[in-house]
Amino acid sequence: MELESKVNIQTKSKQKKDWKKWVIHLFPIPALAIYILFIIYPLFAAFSYSLYDWQGIKRGAFIGIENFISLFTTEPFNSMFWNAFQNNIWYFLLEMVVQNGIAFMLAYVIYKKIRFAEFFKVAYFLPRLLSVIIVGFLWKLILNPNFGALNVFLNKIGLESWAKPWLGDPDTALISIILVNSWFGLGFAVLIFLAGLQGIPGDLIEAARLDGATGPKLIRKIILPLMVPSITIMTVLTFIHAFEAFELVYAMEGSMGEPYYSTDTLAVYFYRLAFGGSGGADSVAIGLGSALAVVLFFIIASISALFLLVLRKREVEM
Amino acid sequence: MKRMLGLFLGVVMVLSLVLAGCSSSETNSNASGNEGDNGSDSGGDKVTLTMGSWRTEDKAAYEKIIKAFNEEYPDINVEFKPSKNTEYNTILNTALQSGEGPDIIQLRPYAPGMELAKAGYLEPLDDLNGIDVFADDVIAAAKSEDKIYGVPLSLNSAQMFYNKKIFEEHGLKEPKTWDEFIEINEKLKKEGVTPIALGTKEGWLLSLGHSIVGPAHYGANEFVDQITAGEKNFTSDEFVSSIKAMDELKKYFPDNYEGLGMEDIRTLFFTEQAAMFPLGSWEIEVLREMNPDLDFGFFPMPSAVGKEPTMTTWVDGSYGLNVNSEHKEEAKKFLEFMTTEKFAKLFASELSRIPAVPGVETGDELVTAMAEASNQYSTPYLMLVHFNEGNPTTKATLETELQGMYLGKVKPEEVAKKLQENAETYYEPFQK
Amino acid sequence: MKQNPAARSFYYVIAFAFASISLYPIVLMIFSSFKTNAEIFKNPLSFPTSFSLETYQKLLDQIPFFTFFWNSVFVSVISVIFILLFGSLASFYIARYTFWWNNLLFFFFLLGMMIPIKLGIVPLFMLMKDLGLINSLWSLVFIYTATGIPLSVLILTGFFRTMPKELEEAARIDGATDIRIFWHVLLPIMRPALGTVMIINFIQSWNDFFFPLIFITEEVKKTIPVGMLSLFGEYSADWGALFAGLTLSSLPMIVLFFIASKQFMEGLTAGAVK
Repeated sequence: MELESKVNIQTKSKQKKDWKKWVIHLFPIPALAIYILFIIYPLFAAFSYSLYDWQGIKRGAFIGIENFISLFTTEPFNSMFWNAFQNNIWYFLLEMVVQNGIAFMLAYVIYKKIRFAEFFKVAYFLPRLLSVIIVGFLWKLILNPNFGALNVFLNKIGLESWAKPWLGDPDTALISIILVNSWFGLGFAVLIFLAGLQGIPGDLIEAARLDGATGPKLIRKIILPLMVPSITIMTVLTFIHAFEAFELVYAMEGSMGEPYYSTDTLAVYFYRLAFGGSGGADSVAIGLGSALAVVLFFIIASISALFLLVLRKREVEM
Repeated sequence: MKRMLGLFLGVVMVLSLVLAGCSSSETNSNASGNEGDNGSDSGGDKVTLTMGSWRTEDKAAYEKIIKAFNEEYPDINVEFKPSKNTEYNTILNTALQSGEGPDIIQLRPYAPGMELAKAGYLEPLDDLNGIDVFADDVIAAAKSEDKIYGVPLSLNSAQMFYNKKIFEEHGLKEPKTWDEFIEINEKLKKEGVTPIALGTKEGWLLSLGHSIVGPAHYGANEFVDQITAGEKNFTSDEFVSSIKAMDELKKYFPDNYEGLGMEDIRTLFFTEQAAMFPLGSWEIEVLREMNPDLDFGFFPMPSAVGKEPTMTTWVDGSYGLNVNSEHKEEAKKFLEFMTTEKFAKLFASELSRIPAVPGVETGDELVTAMAEASNQYSTPYLMLVHFNEGNPTTKATLETELQGMYLGKVKPEEVAKKLQENAETYYEPFQK
Repeated sequence: MKQNPAARSFYYVIAFAFASISLYPIVLMIFSSFKTNAEIFKNPLSFPTSFSLETYQKLLDQIPFFTFFWNSVFVSVISVIFILLFGSLASFYIARYTFWWNNLLFFFFLLGMMIPIKLGIVPLFMLMKDLGLINSLWSLVFIYTATGIPLSVLILTGFFRTMPKELEEAARIDGATDIRIFWHVLLPIMRPALGTVMIINFIQSWNDFFFPLIFITEEVKKTIPVGMLSLFGEYSADWGALFAGLTLSSLPMIVLFFIASKQFMEGLTAGAVK
């Protein structure tokens, strides 16, 4: 922080003489322009939908916040919301533990300069190259209860009782989806963590080593604190990703979050309301759907802001 | 320096784009006018119509149908542009709300399709030549507030398919009563064959399954008349027993049925691992393609309450006319063509399905037999024809709640209760 | 840097175990594309018994694969260039200056990641219509650039912040302009972060099927995922053909990745030296 303001003071004094000082303010313009035109404008235009009464895809009268009230007071909308919300939380927690936990471990292993590091990085990242539709389709097949590779394998090694209808049983469906998602996102997390690890100045670690820090202690005292930026990025991204979880659930369990809403998420619920459930042939409730999107937006925005503030503060303290 | 130049060019380009965006949204009407011009430019005097549909698998058949249409109207170009079933509504609704969309639109049957009419996106077709060939109950699928908005395409039926070879090997005959049907299931199960290929992973299979099994218990058309008059409802004993029957049948489903979807149960049936397959008439083509040697038939569902057996029938998607179409006259020509026998014959022979135009033979023994049985024993697909409204729809509610029932989360009585609560939000006979 | 051998072999076990989990489904997809339906159901785990390219031939005859391919390349490459350029300019501004609105600006960019963009599809469609971009690949370029910017700003701002201030100060003392510092001093050492952003956005634009579904109706303007999607309806019961389709649509991405990955990974290590 101190350094930054020093640079700033210098910049300012320099800029006074510099007729080009306004040039710097052009830097964010192209990004802002495209972003406002194609994201912010359409989204806010759509936000207003939540304030109208809708008959199918026909917009009716202005009704204020009635859609928001219905969303939280009438059944089945109310219980669908809380059920999906709960699933989103599970999504986030399990992804943090499984995907990011494993990714950190793997990044550390690669950082330890093992051989074939290039191969490992590529291997972990490869699933990320596939489209989510393909990922969903592939895993649906692998998890197929009767001829899927996983159950065939379990039967072969004598663990018949472990073989389950993974995606059809409400006890295993959500976990299966989250694990598939972790499989998909692992490589990206490894790369982010690896970049963070490799950004740690080598002399700092050497110094700590000379002070006698090893293994877990080294990780806890030196490496983790210095990795706060990449951990911040991954936490916020995982959070946003978990609360926007849609494509994989949609590809593997459809727009109803089957079985029996056990894999339903807020974004899937939004899609169902705004675009129709049951294979796209169902009726739409655009008003309620837009209200839900607004609520979802406030949840994600406020919690991400919180994460950023807390973690950024830690970063500064370091 | 060159790089910097590129960078600034980028900035300038984006800025000008933004400005262009602002100015052209002000001159909104102009822009859409231009688009119309482009459309007619491409073909000189020829007009190009687009057709929206969710039947990606029918593309080749439609190309032949369009060719036949062009024999009469060589100046009207028709492009069949289907999109994936599950995304069709999203694509169509987005385009319609922006004043675009295909000229000729395939409409989901009954209430969901008629939502487009209510929202004012469809042109009424009451004065279309040939629209009067359709029977009243057929045209009902495309009617909203006493106006006709679609040309019905085909008649669907749902019934129990069975594997003739397996039935023969186990000395079984088509059942004439519900008890016989259960006996068949018991015998097959004892002898190591999966009796019914049905999975509960995809909800729509369950409402379809219920449309086949249900009428046998609620007493088919008599109950339908009563419930649509508001004299009975979903919590009536007749209906509850139809849900219980669905529950009872789960013993005869394949192993791990909770995890099985459409592809899985179809595979079980065409690989001859399962004896019966409760599904719609459109599966005939697929089954034949997957296993040309499969020898299969169908039977109407025998009643459990001493009535006639039933075939579940409804009208599948009709074709409507986009109110914003630039070529309504030409589009009407094509829609008129869809009411002719010429079209119906092609449709029947290319797709092995029963056209909505009456009196057309498909020339396919199985399909003809099904059409005859449908005429004789027809009962409507209750959920699709009468209860496909609300949010979620009553049909979707049945699907989810049945899934919950099979997973042991809800009891049959609770399924019925949820249906009733849902239907009461919009169904007028229940609101009295 | 000596490590005990037990720990080292433990590292290898973990690394290999996860590598095989990562790779197995992809290998399965490629193998299954050579199998017949019956073979897939009977022996889902085994090697294919023969390597027939017939299914691939059939698919390639049916769809203009190379047209789809070039459309995808066009859309992805241009979007990625825009994202990298505009994203890094904005991030540089946010991370290296302390105007009072910078934190707000940063958060404003992040907002874009927090709303399901599908919500805005109708206004977006009308906007594209007004810009005359329906059925134009540029509609996809702009939407992918716009959706890619938030994540890129998040990642790049983070990395710009970690750049040593001394580098910049030294350059300023030498009289370098903002542009020069951005382009010649900081960007070169940002290669790993830029590489990450590039790959992620390239994949995103390459694999998206929602926007082309809505904006593109002409066959010749379709991108690979949408073009292939129509096959899924047609071959819903022919698993062999489906897997061939899946392989065919992911192969270009995998090949491109292998071509680019060397540079991408080298960038990662190069960036780590300092």
